[in-house]
Amino acid sequence: MKTFFNTIGNLFRKPVTTKYPFEPTFKPDDYRGLIGFEESLCIWCRRCEAVCPPGAIVFSQDMEGKQTYHFNRAVCIYCGECVRACPREGALFQTAEPAPCALKAENINNGWNKLFDEAIESRERYAAEKKKKAAEKAAADKAAAEAKKTMEGDEGMNPGNN
Amino acid sequence: MGRQYEIPVGAQHISLLEPLHFKFTTENERIVRTDANVYYVHRGIEQACCSKFKFRQVSFVVGRVCGLCSISHTTAYSQVAEKLLKIEIPKRAKYLRMLVIELDRIHSHLLCLSHVAENSGFEALFMKTMQYREFSMELLEAVCGNRIQYDFSIVGGVARDLKPETGQLILQRLKNFMPQLEELVGIYQHNWTLSLKNKGTGVLTREDAMRLNVVGPFARAAGLAVDVRNETEDLLPWKEVGFEMITDTAGDVHARNMIRLREIGVSIRLIRNIIDGLPESALLTETKAFPDGEATVRLEAPRGELFYYAKGNKTQVLERLKIKAPTFSNVAGMVHAFTGNEYGSAAAIIASYDPCLSCTAR
Repeated sequence: MKTFFNTIGNLFRKPVTTKYPFEPTFKPDDYRGLIGFEESLCIWCRRCEAVCPPGAIVFSQDMEGKQTYHFNRAVCIYCGECVRACPREGALFQTAEPAPCALKAENINNGWNKLFDEAIESRERYAAEKKKKAAEKAAADKAAAEAKKTMEGDEGMNPGNN
Repeated sequence: MGRQYEIPVGAQHISLLEPLHFKFTTENERIVRTDANVYYVHRGIEQACCSKFKFRQVSFVVGRVCGLCSISHTTAYSQVAEKLLKIEIPKRAKYLRMLVIELDRIHSHLLCLSHVAENSGFEALFMKTMQYREFSMELLEAVCGNRIQYDFSIVGGVARDLKPETGQLILQRLKNFMPQLEELVGIYQHNWTLSLKNKGTGVLTREDAMRLNVVGPFARAAGLAVDVRNETEDLLPWKEVGFEMITDTAGDVHARNMIRLREIGVSIRLIRNIIDGLPESALLTETKAFPDGEATVRLEAPRGELFYYAKGNKTQVLERLKIKAPTFSNVAGMVHAFTGNEYGSAAAIIASYDPCLSCTAR
């Protein structure tokens, strides 16, 4: 009998489900959403890139040594590990905004893999260039030092000139 | 002896949510023999954890082993890594880990119950249980920031703090849930239609459960008092927050349902105690050490005992990580408990085991 009245009552009860895209669903204030980046505060230590479990952050570097931050919202798992690892408060932060869907035109997977490899390569290129320059500089310094030494030696060899 | 038929169920089947394959040998609708094949989803996670990822990143990788007991895997891994690093985590972190594990247990048990109802042919109860389960998902989202992949435990502590208003929200929602839980207990216990499919089917006796090393609610329904929460006290202080063992004697599908419902009651009490007595301390123990030596950890996941073994070699990458999931321990018991039942009950019995093959095959 109780079941019967329940069934009749169910005809007039409101549905439990919500009309999701038109009505908001439950969302806590500190939802784990998109990772934000504040370039002016970044100290370019690349610690976030080192700790990121899926590898969703990568820094590329041009030949002048300027680094650029790249972030892939489709690879990111929103764990917040980069925010915890960041030594500079406010440079990386987690917003409560969910990530938008990836579109086909973005080519988010293959494009990202390519970008990731290129970024690593650009850094290596910069490091190699820097090393080369450092070596050249060291060689030049050494040559200069040797020249100086020779000059000093020459001076030392003729003390009686004065 | 009548004619025997072999009926394959799985690896893809309408009543199975998991990629598992059973081959039933039936005789006049009665199951006389069962073979199981559970390794359909090998993903190579253990190998990835020992080669590609650093040990601090592994806790996020093992969280993806299973969607339902994500927090059990991350916590078990974090604990084993903390043993290798030889650090002690703050007390607040321990309490918060317990809180999320218990919330997770509520949602996992309700999911299992709803599938038992669905596979027994009671679609309306499936809908009702799923409706009541939603609150636990929302609470998990409020605590961890995500509905399924919690990423809550990290090596050395927990990632997020519990805000006081979230604690109040949890208590409020649990209060709202109590009458719903009583309603569910009433239906699962007394509904005549459900009892036809559930009472006396899939029976596993206490002796068999002991012999076949069954764990979790499956064992507790058979009268075997095994629960890691009752045995270990060093890593998470379960008894301090009022853990209580729940056992039944019947060992059938109905007993498993009742065990799960009563465990939800215990979980609710534990959560209330945790929130009331949440100690104030830091959330994270920082260390710069690298994992060294070997360690094992046992943890009570919703489905039973979860076992982790890890070996470190003083580098960033672990040398070996071994995961033994509760369903793996239960496979022998699962195969045994089918014998003598009608083939028509097989679907409900499978659901009542609450198998998690993604955990098992990794």
